[in-house]
Amino acid sequence: MIERMDLFRAVHARRTDEIAVLTMAATLQYPLVSDHELDFDFLAFGMGHAGDFALGLALARPERKTIVFKGDGGQLMSLGSLVTLGRYAPGNLLVLFLENRVYEQTGSQPFSDRVDFDTLARGAGIQGGGATGKGKIERIETIETFEEALHRLLTEEGPHFVICPVENYEHVPPTSHTDHAGRIRNLRKGLGLPVPN
Amino acid sequence: MSKNGASASKTLAALKSLGFTHVLAIPDSESALLYTAIEKDPDIDLILPTREGESIAIAAGLWTGGRKPLVLIQNTGFMEAGDALRGCGLGPRVPLRLMVGWRGYGGAMAGKKPTDSAYTYTEPLLKAWGIPTWHLMCDDDLPAIEQMDRTAEETSLPAAVITGYAFTE
Repeated sequence: MIERMDLFRAVHARRTDEIAVLTMAATLQYPLVSDHELDFDFLAFGMGHAGDFALGLALARPERKTIVFKGDGGQLMSLGSLVTLGRYAPGNLLVLFLENRVYEQTGSQPFSDRVDFDTLARGAGIQGGGATGKGKIERIETIETFEEALHRLLTEEGPHFVICPVENYEHVPPTSHTDHAGRIRNLRKGLGLPVPN
Repeated sequence: MSKNGASASKTLAALKSLGFTHVLAIPDSESALLYTAIEKDPDIDLILPTREGESIAIAAGLWTGGRKPLVLIQNTGFMEAGDALRGCGLGPRVPLRLMVGWRGYGGAMAGKKPTDSAYTYTEPLLKAWGIPTWHLMCDDDLPAIEQMDRTAEETSLPAAVITGYAFTE
């Protein structure tokens, strides 16, 4: 089991010009360690769709990696999107799948303990799949192993779908639904793209 | 000209002339010929997600990254995708371009009873979301695609064309 803030600190320490799409608890805690201009807070953009949005970004910006911190509860809201990743995910997409087995954002209600995300991802064709045919599914269960793998995950062609069992003992700031249009425009600005009114 | 469906090849030509880079499509029988035409074309990337909400979120990511996607879905899927449309289009002012198949239109125009509820709720729902909408019923209506595209660009909000008949070759 990985302490979630340790995982965020590790990513922040290694990350350079990658886009980072955050959702749910990650939107609240990752900003405690990072204020990178390519951090994108997806909270309230559409339940379960952070990975889909990240897929679009990764396809649009092949010159850099797109990382998405995706929660397991959110994945259950869009299970079919695993199939889409298995077919279309490009080599520059890194899914860090944070598995805590509950709907944390709404009070940590547990979902079925029989769900096996490794099997779901494999069944969706991600292993050996994606647009490159090089998709990889990994399960990383300690911060030491995660830190050891991170350079490879950020540089190697994927797509990568990395399942990380996480727990949290640190402060989670309150939810804040801030300016959605401004978030999108800030990200486009960070990518050097025209910013519409 | 009778209102019997727009040509798939002419619709594709219109999309290419407007610079669309990607089409996110959930295939349905009425858009099948357009889907086939796009699939064969090397200049536009065709992506088939599993549900319409996914299509909208992927399209929002593509636009944010500087590309120009079209979301090609049926009205039933448009109804299913409401939260994605709110969260990835209307709220953040992402100019999503939508082409929505109007299931039930042909039957309703022919006076068939009972009326398909998918027909009944399509235009009121688009109006309720505040999405400007144009009809694409035949080749004479093809300029509607450019009007929809320009409106989305100028307002930085979603806009739609709705198609009442199956595409022809």
